[in-house]
Amino acid sequence: MATDLVPEVVQPAADSPRPASAPRRRRSTKTLGRDLWRYRWLYLLLLPGLLYFLLFKYLPMYGLTIAFKDYVPFLGYSGSEWVGLKHFQELFTGPDFGRLMFNTLLLAVLTVVFVFPAPIVVALLLNELRINVLKRSVQSLVYIPHFLSWTIVASLTYLLFSVDFGVIANWIHGLVGGQKTDYVAQADWFRPLIVLQLLWKQTGWGTIIYLAALAGVDSQLYEAARVDGAGRWRQFWHITLPAIRPTIVVMAILMSGNLLDSGFEQIWLMTTSLNRDVADVFDTFVYYIGITQGSFSYATAVGLFKGVIGVVLIFGSNFLAKRMGQRGLF
Amino acid sequence: MISRRRLAVAAALSTALLAASACSGGGDDKGGEAASTELTVMAPLFGTAPDPSGELQQAVEKLIGKKLQITWVPNAEYGDKSNVTLASDKIPDVMVANEKSPSFVKAAEAGAFWDLTGKLDKYQNLKPANEQTAKNTQTNGKTYGIYRVRPLLRSGVVIRKDWLAKLGLKEPQSVEDLYTIAKAFADKDPDGNGKKDTYGLIIPKWPGNYASASPYDVIETWFGAPNGWGERDGKLVPGFDTPEFLAANQWLHKWVSEGLVNPDFATLDSANWNDPFVQGKGGMIIDVNVRATQLLDLFKEKNPKDFDKVTLVGNLLGPDGEKHSYPFTGYNMVIAISKQHVRTEEQLDQVLQTLDKLESKEGSILLTNGIEGRNFKADGKYAVPINQDDAKVKAIQNDVDKAFIQLGTRASVGLGAYALRPNDEASRTMREKFDVLMNEDLKTAVFNPALGIIAPTSVAKGQTLDTIIPDARIKYLSGAITEDQLKAQIKRWYDSGGTDIAKEVNDLAAKAGG
Repeated sequence: MATDLVPEVVQPAADSPRPASAPRRRRSTKTLGRDLWRYRWLYLLLLPGLLYFLLFKYLPMYGLTIAFKDYVPFLGYSGSEWVGLKHFQELFTGPDFGRLMFNTLLLAVLTVVFVFPAPIVVALLLNELRINVLKRSVQSLVYIPHFLSWTIVASLTYLLFSVDFGVIANWIHGLVGGQKTDYVAQADWFRPLIVLQLLWKQTGWGTIIYLAALAGVDSQLYEAARVDGAGRWRQFWHITLPAIRPTIVVMAILMSGNLLDSGFEQIWLMTTSLNRDVADVFDTFVYYIGITQGSFSYATAVGLFKGVIGVVLIFGSNFLAKRMGQRGLF
Repeated sequence: MISRRRLAVAAALSTALLAASACSGGGDDKGGEAASTELTVMAPLFGTAPDPSGELQQAVEKLIGKKLQITWVPNAEYGDKSNVTLASDKIPDVMVANEKSPSFVKAAEAGAFWDLTGKLDKYQNLKPANEQTAKNTQTNGKTYGIYRVRPLLRSGVVIRKDWLAKLGLKEPQSVEDLYTIAKAFADKDPDGNGKKDTYGLIIPKWPGNYASASPYDVIETWFGAPNGWGERDGKLVPGFDTPEFLAANQWLHKWVSEGLVNPDFATLDSANWNDPFVQGKGGMIIDVNVRATQLLDLFKEKNPKDFDKVTLVGNLLGPDGEKHSYPFTGYNMVIAISKQHVRTEEQLDQVLQTLDKLESKEGSILLTNGIEGRNFKADGKYAVPINQDDAKVKAIQNDVDKAFIQLGTRASVGLGAYALRPNDEASRTMREKFDVLMNEDLKTAVFNPALGIIAPTSVAKGQTLDTIIPDARIKYLSGAITEDQLKAQIKRWYDSGGTDIAKEVNDLAAKAGG
């Protein structure tokens, strides 16, 4: 399909005729050395990249071994004692695990339900705008919140919603009446505020990729549809939506890997004594345990657990996407 | 409003991850050579970092005969940065450290720091001046650092003097008086603007845990609750497991529900604590006495002609008619010596001799006042700033006030250095009041018998436990949970490890006391 974002050429192997593969493999082992020599400059160019990944991405993973040790910095990696799965056991049987899992997952679900579709909706709406100048300026305006740091976003939230001087809090109070609500302190309002912040900050930025996908749609398709008598809605349903479907799938797969990342900064900035029960997530827990408490091994174990779940989710959703006839990430 | 600290901590977190992955730990080949001509130091900073080649640092280096390599860390992120430093293999020779923090205790018990027990007495300026304080700094009988002395008792109530006068009220003697004043401040329009827009007491969201000198802790002590830990029926129990704790919080709960407290007390950052007071929204603050002079200065900034609006009273009589005063630990962190470079007893002796020089009378004056004749002149017991228009002199003054004073262990209470002369009459009277109130309240001070004890369980999982009680307390006060739920949270503390902590504290106390 012409509207597909992923170029056709990258995936030839699956459908190529079987007999060709066997002799090719034999030949390649024989001539590996010669090939290496022949393309030596290309391989040389590859070297810095490989080194980079080895040095900065894979070597530090050695540090993960402290998840299986009772790590004391003074004794170092080699001096600290191996304890096997003790820290994982502690995590899974500890009193915090259930709450952390629930909070993290609930935030993830809320993100999937409210935050993930928002850029799609906004992009589609923007796409229906026919005045180009207006479209462009709206597009630029909605990017802006993305560039503010979480500290500023959290400060703004406090300023707008606090019970003593919050503008929005007072405004809502004026409309609804009754007792004043302390939005920033109450546990019930923690999740709605987090979702609101995410929507405000990330929606505009998220539209970029969908708008790019929409820009790639062949305008002839629309013309043809109009000739056949399709209205705005029909065009949207049969052309626009299918056009961005692969993009949505890719974004969904990418997101699934970060499902347990609640975003340390945002959560941590919004945590107070009153909402800690609903605010504690794995990310903040790792901070409290690791940095404040100095239990580096335990914190690493928690982080590793999160990472493993992320990998499993990425592969899982990629598999599912392919199963459902979509093109996956890999 | 969010303090910048939070951002800084986030930054520290990423640094920590880097450090955790980059550090190799263990062996360091530099050995003792470097330590003998140079001293690496880490200390908190309250402003911009001093220039290492600045006049003051030069003077200090000349005095001790060694080069100084100082890592200045902004105070707000000092705790996090210390923990990260302890996780790295670059622990400085000498480090200002919170010797009770789990990561320090773990590091010290693994042998990262020198045990100075019994070693300090032969150094004239390092030996403990106060036995009670020395005991407070211990970790289960061991001394891991030289304490930085602070006044032992400085809790008090700061009150709007002009509001009291306007409503014809007297300074409070007891907690009942305090309630009457708060009620009047909230209801009787002390600022005279015709609107009911004031409240009595201002309390912030407290950054520390239970028994960390918060206004809540002070009030509970007035009601007769133990300060941290206390003896009940021959056993040490945590202060929050007493009827007095509940009584104090019931009383405060009434304050909150009657609108006598700032409505945002659960989220007000302690960095902005002074604001509502100076803005005339609230009329009382329960905190350290120096907040009174701070507020005086702020009022003076607003109106130099009419600023004498603050009065300070000491600890109050409880409902039982007796006074229980809230003392502080008498120190603020210790100076610990790392074993990483300072390897042998001989090298340790060298470092201690250097520190002894640093804390001598001459050194203390450098660290707390500056260079005599350059940025200050002595006038009796006071130091009077001079030449402050000169940018270079101003730099010296800044280096002293914002940085080097942190390296002093004795100077903040005037031992071996000059006190800064307050520059107006009101502040001077206030300063003089500090000592009077302190000596008066010391007679009824309730000390924490478990300060020198660190239970292994609290080192292992203190962090999640530590928040249970202060969180529950704030929730109860704000009406989010009932008293029964507060009691349930106290039970939860016991169930999630508190029982072990209580047992360990009692065992260790018995060992230390016996």
